[in-house]
Amino acid sequence: MPSAPLFGLRVLVHANSVAAAYAARMLGVLGGAVTLIEPPQGSDLRREPPFLPGSETSALFAYLAAGMDSRVCDLTSTDGRAALGALLSECDIFFDDTPVVARAALGLDEAAISASHPHLIHVSVLPFGAEGPKAGWKGEEINVLHASGEGYLLPNGLTCELFPGRPPVKPYGHFTEMQGGIAAALGALSALWVRDEIGGQYVDISSQDAGLAVGAFAIQRLGDGSIEQRAERSFRYGGVVPCKDGFVELLTLEQRQWHGLVKLLGEPAWALDPAFDDSLERSRRGPEINRHIRAWAAVRMVEDIVREGQKLSVPLAKYYTPAEVLRDPHEQVRGLFQPITIDGAGPLDMLVSPFHIDGMPLALRGGPPALGAKVRTEATA
Amino acid sequence: MKPLSGIRIADFTVHNAGPFCTHLLSQLGAEVIKVESAMRPDAFRKPHPVYGRMGPATFDQVASNKLSVRINLKKPEGIALAKRLVAASDVAAESFRPGVVDRLGLGYDALKAVKADVVMLSVSSSGQNGPDSHFAGYAPLFGAWGGLSELTGFADGPPVEMRHVMDHTVGMNAAVAVVAALHRRRASGLGSYIDIAAREVASSLIGEALLMASAGEEIQRIGNAHPRMTPHGVYPCQGADRWLSIAVANDAEREALGALIGGEPNDDAIANWTSAREANAAAVTLQALGIAAHVSWTTPEIAADPHLRTRRAIVEVAEPDGKVRAAVGVPMRLSKGQGIGIERGTPQLGEHEDYVYGELLGLGQTERTALEQAEVIY
Repeated sequence: MPSAPLFGLRVLVHANSVAAAYAARMLGVLGGAVTLIEPPQGSDLRREPPFLPGSETSALFAYLAAGMDSRVCDLTSTDGRAALGALLSECDIFFDDTPVVARAALGLDEAAISASHPHLIHVSVLPFGAEGPKAGWKGEEINVLHASGEGYLLPNGLTCELFPGRPPVKPYGHFTEMQGGIAAALGALSALWVRDEIGGQYVDISSQDAGLAVGAFAIQRLGDGSIEQRAERSFRYGGVVPCKDGFVELLTLEQRQWHGLVKLLGEPAWALDPAFDDSLERSRRGPEINRHIRAWAAVRMVEDIVREGQKLSVPLAKYYTPAEVLRDPHEQVRGLFQPITIDGAGPLDMLVSPFHIDGMPLALRGGPPALGAKVRTEATA
Repeated sequence: MKPLSGIRIADFTVHNAGPFCTHLLSQLGAEVIKVESAMRPDAFRKPHPVYGRMGPATFDQVASNKLSVRINLKKPEGIALAKRLVAASDVAAESFRPGVVDRLGLGYDALKAVKADVVMLSVSSSGQNGPDSHFAGYAPLFGAWGGLSELTGFADGPPVEMRHVMDHTVGMNAAVAVVAALHRRRASGLGSYIDIAAREVASSLIGEALLMASAGEEIQRIGNAHPRMTPHGVYPCQGADRWLSIAVANDAEREALGALIGGEPNDDAIANWTSAREANAAAVTLQALGIAAHVSWTTPEIAADPHLRTRRAIVEVAEPDGKVRAAVGVPMRLSKGQGIGIERGTPQLGEHEDYVYGELLGLGQTERTALEQAEVIY
């Protein structure tokens, strides 16, 4: 089997927040050798909940740092900065999320690093980026989410109907920061692509920019003369549909999918109205269609609806809990998870990557490192 | 320079996830040739009534910057033409349902036969193998299958569906994988077949919750709360539907916030303080105290933001009629990458056939005319 795509790549990451760590994780799973640079007390991510039951290990840190080596460098000391310099001279890519104002004192500023390491791909990963009027602003996940647009536009559909007066609600976890991490991985690999021609360079990543990029359609619609609002962004029909024992997601975009839905519903008289053959008419009469769909679904089980609907090529999905994702036979066949041993928490299944290369899932080198330790490669399955 | 200059991509992707991947790569310098046909035009060329768009779009973000050619993939001559295009490309990208490209004769083995080191990308809802691989799906379904949506929402409410941000997250992940595969090709001479399941991308965003589930503990929906930071939420400000996001990370910030609002900084007290204030001014006040805060910005505010425009995260593009509009740039700044971003707007169907068929593939006008008459270039 060919090697992982980035075999031989050497990556350093100095991360106290999700975005930079996630960028490094992505490159590690793709085959890079990643070392996490930590202060003597460890990265802040080690202290970020949730914690695995019965242990002091952060599940978030474990996920983000899986497969990395850990190296302690006290960057407030001359020796620590010298140690980092030696490591930087041997690596290809360096991710750093130190606030710009604090970098020079730690030897992490762009000018110093580019002077000492001209072939390095130096990637700054910050909530609002390293340049621009808000480069110095603090931003946690909820702030960059709302600064990038999607924050204002969630929730839609059923939640918006049920709670019209409530504030917007955020996606679970670190959605926007992870977009920053994905953009950082892309920026790093793109800059590396031309390193032999033009040398190293500085890559400036902002989680706000990345969140905006994935929410680009709101800007597109603004140009069309339409300002998106939560309440009006709902699908005209379908969306989150309450069933007897949970929820399904339903979205029919194609004509054939509408016809499949009509069959799934049992071809009731209302749905056979010839006017509904026109997709524009369906859009106009969406609330009426939704009332019928919800009444039909309310007395049926989720699994039955999804199974029968997908047979008819109707796009329908169950809202899976994390435990259901773990148990999902589909994901077991696909090898989405890998057993990893984590100190104090035992062997656990960890998501590896959404990438399959040449027909195979990728693999983690191991679990999260102890502070200052090499990755425990023996822990992998 | 644009880092991916010299990379060519034959782009058979449809909808949003795959096209966003190739759109990003195009902004980084790759030459992306979008394949459509009059029989099967891109979704943006048609009405999109479920989303409330009753006519074709005049601008499509994910199609911008691309070249456009017509190929009718329902004809054998169209498949042959597609293979010629792939043979002249570095990357072939598709997002049909699993099995379709094999049936068309454009599967990985077929493409390797015409381009031995091709990097092929397949984006699908559930991946190329597994019992659900045939499932139809779009962005909200990816979030539902992947567990992200179940965890999103108010504790006393239903799950929340993800919208096109989910598609585009898949696309940005795919772009990373494609460039990684190009690096391997450069190092080893080997092509790659990349299979990305959108539902698994959704799952990859909740890795810690999945790990907790593996340890026997289920994370629940908590709305805007945070497991460590408090106060943490979205608070009302002056004006209708006007909100300020605030995240207080430690005791020092809590004390500073308490001093500012004149009392214990609980959610009600913060809401009382914010309700009497203009949102952006309140954010500036909080940032000055070292507290993370930002207004829940509307789209017009984002389009006009000096910070985002300085960073070229928001750029202006011209439509064919000369009208200028805001668009979203590539989410990065490269110190030696001046010029990355959008150069062209949305292409007309078949707009670049003189270059692609004439210059690139070397088809003569007679041959092109014959293919048009046979509805192969159609």
